Amino acid sequence: MRLPPRISRRFLGLAFALAGAAPLLATPSNKAALERHYDRFLEKNLARCTTCHLPSDIKEPESLDDFPHNAFGNRLRILGEELDKAGKPKGIATRLALIAQEDSDGDGVANEIELLLGKNPGDSKQTPAAEEIAGAQAKQTEFARFIASYRWQPFERVQRPPLPAISNPGWVRTPIDAFIAAAQEEHGLKPRPEAPKSILLRRVYLDLIGLSPTPEEQRAFASDLSPDAYEKVVDRLLESPQYGERWGRHWMDIWRYSDWAGWTDGKQVRDSQRHIWRWRDWIVESLNADHGYDQMVVEMLAADELAPNDPETLRATGFLVRNYKMLSREQWLEDTVKHTSQAFLGITLGCAKCHDHRTDPISQAEYYQVRAIFEPHQVRTDRVPGVLDREKDGVPRVYDIDKDAPTYFFIRGDERRPDKDRVMQPGVPRALCGDRLKPALDITRVALPADAASPDKRDFVIRDTLLASEQLLLNARDAFTKAKTANQITERKFEFAIAEARHTALLAEIRAEQIEAAGNKSGDDWKEAAEETMRAQNEAALFETELGLYKLKTAQADARQILDDLPPPTEAEIADPYQAKREKAANDLKTAEGKIGAAEQAFAKAGAQANGDATTGFKPRPKDDYPAVSTGRRLAFAKWLVQNDNPLTARVAMNHLWLRHFGRGIVATPENFGFNGARASHPALLDWLAAEFMANGWKMKPMHRMLVTSNTYRMTSTPDAADLQLDTDNLFLWRMPTRRMEAELVRDNLLYVAGSLDLTRGGADIDQMQGLTSKRRSLYLRSASEKEVEFLKIFDGPSVNECYQRHPSVMPQQSLALANSELTLAQSQVVAKRLSEQAGANAEAFVRQAFERVLSRIPSDDELGACLAFLNAPSNDPAQAPDPMRLRENLILVLFNHNDFITIR
Amino acid sequence: MPSNSHSCAGVTRRSFLADTGMGFTGLVLGSMLFRDQTAKAEQPDGRPHFPPKAKSVIWIFLCGGVSHLESFDIKPALNQYAGKSIEETPYKGVLATSEKNIVDGNPSHGNRKVLMPLQTGFKPYGESGLVVGDWFQNIGSCADDLAVVRSLWTIHNDHGAQLTWQTGRHPRELNHPTLGAWVSYGLGTLNQNLPEYVVLGVPTGDCCGGAFTHGAAYLGPEYAGVRLGNDAQKPLPFIRPASSEITSEEQLQNLSLLGKLNTLSGIDYPDDKELRARIKSYELAFQMQTSIPEVMQLETETEATKGLYGMDKPESKSFGERCLVARKLVERGVRFIQIFHGGGGGGEWDAHSDIKANHEKLSKQVDQPIAGLLKDLKQRGLLNDTLVVFGTEFGRTPGAEGTGRDHHPQGFSAWLAGGGIKGGMAHGATDELGFHAVENRHYVTDIHATVMQLMGLDSYRLEVPGRKRLEIDHGEAISQIIA
Repeated sequence: MRLPPRISRRFLGLAFALAGAAPLLATPSNKAALERHYDRFLEKNLARCTTCHLPSDIKEPESLDDFPHNAFGNRLRILGEELDKAGKPKGIATRLALIAQEDSDGDGVANEIELLLGKNPGDSKQTPAAEEIAGAQAKQTEFARFIASYRWQPFERVQRPPLPAISNPGWVRTPIDAFIAAAQEEHGLKPRPEAPKSILLRRVYLDLIGLSPTPEEQRAFASDLSPDAYEKVVDRLLESPQYGERWGRHWMDIWRYSDWAGWTDGKQVRDSQRHIWRWRDWIVESLNADHGYDQMVVEMLAADELAPNDPETLRATGFLVRNYKMLSREQWLEDTVKHTSQAFLGITLGCAKCHDHRTDPISQAEYYQVRAIFEPHQVRTDRVPGVLDREKDGVPRVYDIDKDAPTYFFIRGDERRPDKDRVMQPGVPRALCGDRLKPALDITRVALPADAASPDKRDFVIRDTLLASEQLLLNARDAFTKAKTANQITERKFEFAIAEARHTALLAEIRAEQIEAAGNKSGDDWKEAAEETMRAQNEAALFETELGLYKLKTAQADARQILDDLPPPTEAEIADPYQAKREKAANDLKTAEGKIGAAEQAFAKAGAQANGDATTGFKPRPKDDYPAVSTGRRLAFAKWLVQNDNPLTARVAMNHLWLRHFGRGIVATPENFGFNGARASHPALLDWLAAEFMANGWKMKPMHRMLVTSNTYRMTSTPDAADLQLDTDNLFLWRMPTRRMEAELVRDNLLYVAGSLDLTRGGADIDQMQGLTSKRRSLYLRSASEKEVEFLKIFDGPSVNECYQRHPSVMPQQSLALANSELTLAQSQVVAKRLSEQAGANAEAFVRQAFERVLSRIPSDDELGACLAFLNAPSNDPAQAPDPMRLRENLILVLFNHNDFITIR
Repeated sequence: MPSNSHSCAGVTRRSFLADTGMGFTGLVLGSMLFRDQTAKAEQPDGRPHFPPKAKSVIWIFLCGGVSHLESFDIKPALNQYAGKSIEETPYKGVLATSEKNIVDGNPSHGNRKVLMPLQTGFKPYGESGLVVGDWFQNIGSCADDLAVVRSLWTIHNDHGAQLTWQTGRHPRELNHPTLGAWVSYGLGTLNQNLPEYVVLGVPTGDCCGGAFTHGAAYLGPEYAGVRLGNDAQKPLPFIRPASSEITSEEQLQNLSLLGKLNTLSGIDYPDDKELRARIKSYELAFQMQTSIPEVMQLETETEATKGLYGMDKPESKSFGERCLVARKLVERGVRFIQIFHGGGGGGEWDAHSDIKANHEKLSKQVDQPIAGLLKDLKQRGLLNDTLVVFGTEFGRTPGAEGTGRDHHPQGFSAWLAGGGIKGGMAHGATDELGFHAVENRHYVTDIHATVMQLMGLDSYRLEVPGRKRLEIDHGEAISQIIA
């Protein structure tokens, strides 16, 4: 009993023959539909075009006329036309069912029997023998059962299936239970009873907020005997801000969160961008506010087109910013296309970069159409109030830099071989459109507001710029008042004057900008402000050149002085003790004198400029300006993604949710719903969830609530011998699966149970080297290529390149980390000390509290006995008797290493 | 199955207690921990099923697809007909095949029919005269120890075939036990201080199997490969307690209590493989605190040994270290050592363009270390019971893909050497152009079966109840290359 059904050698051969052998220009979609309909019942020799078409010698048929239908294909075609005329559904499945009992080729055997026996139903020369026909009964029955089963079509629009009828409706607490029960009943499985309260509480706490329940919370739940005690807990947890942190990390996996990576002391950003943590905070906040998933997807892909003036929302585009790759724009766009489609659509579109997708109906041209959606976009960092230096802070975001950037079809995916005759227009793969959406996107250009195009003209940037200028002025004045030597006084005086002139220029320039923004650039006021700017700039330049000249002349004089003061060189054969000093001074003199000419000229020029008439041609302050229009491509694409008619978006999202609540996706390959992905274990359930999700306005919290309050979720995780034999892998969920804490939960809970966890939310990423000493939650620790926390990596932490799901392992490295790391050693001391303050000398009280605190449950008598024996271990050598506190610390350390600590039962 | 009503997959609550009750400090052997008395017939007891010819396996895997045509299945016809399309040669018949289980290459193979000449020279080696490409000349000098299998085929035409090489299954079927896991499961360990199944180097990327390529799937994580870094300074993080105050006795006492507590709370979960693996991993981790730094310490090796493994050259230093560590692990009784080269992503050997530069560079990294490993094992008398296997996920097309060669699952090569293998021979053949495997065709699991047989294991007898394996999963041992 396993899913996907074990694929036989024959079937594998078939699959690959199909993938490889599609003839040019045929209509593989019809062939694919035939294969889908008959699935494993279709013999290899019939998974061909010749099942419906006459064999042809034409190598490259220009149209279907070169490749006419045989009798069977003809019948299908005519039936299709008839149904079309009658306005009835004409899907291939419908048509195949309608002509199953007909005999298209007139050889006396019905179409379906011929198909099931591997004979061509359109070729009267292929006829099964009488004994074969007699033996076809079993196959027909099996096929009929297959046809009647829920046919999952993830590439078709979601339609809500009815709740299945089950024999024990009393077990159904939320609708999902009906689907689970149906599968259990079908496979002869009995559901396990509800888990003990303490296990259930810890499970749902860790699942929803990633932190275990405190002893107080455990006791409150144990003593709450009201029928909705559990639901009250669930509601409270979903409203807790820690929910967003816990589930934010899940979505950060799927959306490939990565802090910036780079080289040479951070001066070169190679991957992602600085301050991308703002996107992480947006994820956490959006989840806590229960924004719809549809809204979140649109904001991540196109907040700059949707809300161009809203820096809070612009953070969402970190999803795209994260793909930035300094070394290769090609890789950057490739990652963008590949992971956008895998994350939201569960489709490995990246496979179609160099050739048509081998197993899914996506052409290479369609890959480039999707690329064209992203072709115009770039990343930038907008300033935030109070910080002008964007290396220190800012909002990394995307924008369209080049609305006309062409996307060429790359021959064989090779960027060095663009086909300049094939400029690809933005679009989406036809096969992902279901029956109501269009592959041509509805794209409208977006005119951007002035603040988006010229972000440095925003009030707060101007204010910060003026403040910075004033600060420079204050500094210069301060330096001047502190100057001591005559030389210093002169230089500081110049610098003060320069700062003053510059500040004056800036004030005048900003006045000119404001006049211009008000539309009065042609008036006298503007001219006056511009001229004043120019005058002040000229003045600053004059002081600068004068200072330059002064410095050179001072250097000249100083060097001369040194040479004069030195005693004359001694006789040649004796080394000159002043040689080095003499040479240096001579050198300095030469250098200074070499520059004086140019400096005098510059000074003279600046003087002439300053004495001349001021013009309005001032040098503007450094500002970034961006296009005032965006293509609207990403916004159109994002809206297409979250249409209720999009077949995949809601299914993929719900599968991710399910995977993280139940340890295994309904589709076990959440990033691949295509042919090479795993088959769905509960297809109807996934469709139902997707329909419900959309009906709820794509809100996640109601879905979480439905899943965790279900009877399915509340089952115990202990095994039952009979069920275990029937379904060893628990594919059909007769018990709640046991899971291991994700890396972040291991670390967070070590700190949390010790009372050490700092629950501050949000903010800049924390250096990965502080992974064992920081007290913040793990999602705030830096995670980027080559900048990962070792401790988290050992517990199968997320790969920054791709992490659609975690694959927990058991390794001795994990044992070493929990037994030996400074984190566990330090926190076990903290816990032992705290608990001892309450328990005093009472060892039993200490053990009981330790179990409650660390494992969220009370110890059994055997466990209590073993722990007391450990604490009271007799010592062979009384002089070496172990320190009782040390034993308690070790007991806590042992509980941190306990399988029940890192396991979610 | 036992009749006890509490039984779960061959393990009873009572027997779980009995098996796990003592833990490390009770000195129950790790690999013997969970063998249920009543289910013994179905569970391996660590003894081989018949006399083995090898005790350990070094399983070298080159990620990305090494050209069979320019390594161990030299095709001079490619030079003769270079630039011609396959149809223009006298061998145009190679494209047609009567074989039913053939896997097509990728659909654009239609464009890979123009033959590309060999990008390296070749010559015969040793008494056997086995012909090997110049890129692998050092391995060539060991030709008389090698049995090359030239007639392999596989079922996936992309790099997911890396997973297929390890498990025999298509990546779509997710994780299945790797060969290393089967060996580890069937034989257990010869050394309580080290993992039974060790992984060196960077494994296959997540695209193409990732951790599944050294996983144990349903056999349970205790049989999965343990990855070690090959840096002596930092073989494993957290290898010693952060506080030097913690004594070894103290660690033992903690471990003893931990074993008792894990066992007590595990009673309700007698089928929990993760728990079993975790208990075992604690015992192993304790031992590894001393055993691993010792194995990873290569400074004490002689200059001659380092030179033999190519550790004196920057290009082969890293892989040479891996090979030398592998030899030390073999000496210490580790059963299965899986060494990856060029891992991550689709694999470095994936020479779609400029195969000459690609293979030339990469072969320099591995050729001398692998040859050094064979020679070193031989001079120490270890080669007799150590089986060395050299493999890759598929070959590369005879036709050009620009300056490179494409994926080629229809025919490719691997070689075996050491314990129980006939040296100096080639078995099976591809056609004249190296397109299809045509003579003595072998699916990749035939290599697995050969290894299992030489290790004294009957894979059918290891089958786990409820986990029926197909014939193709077991494969058939290649008797012609067994001495």
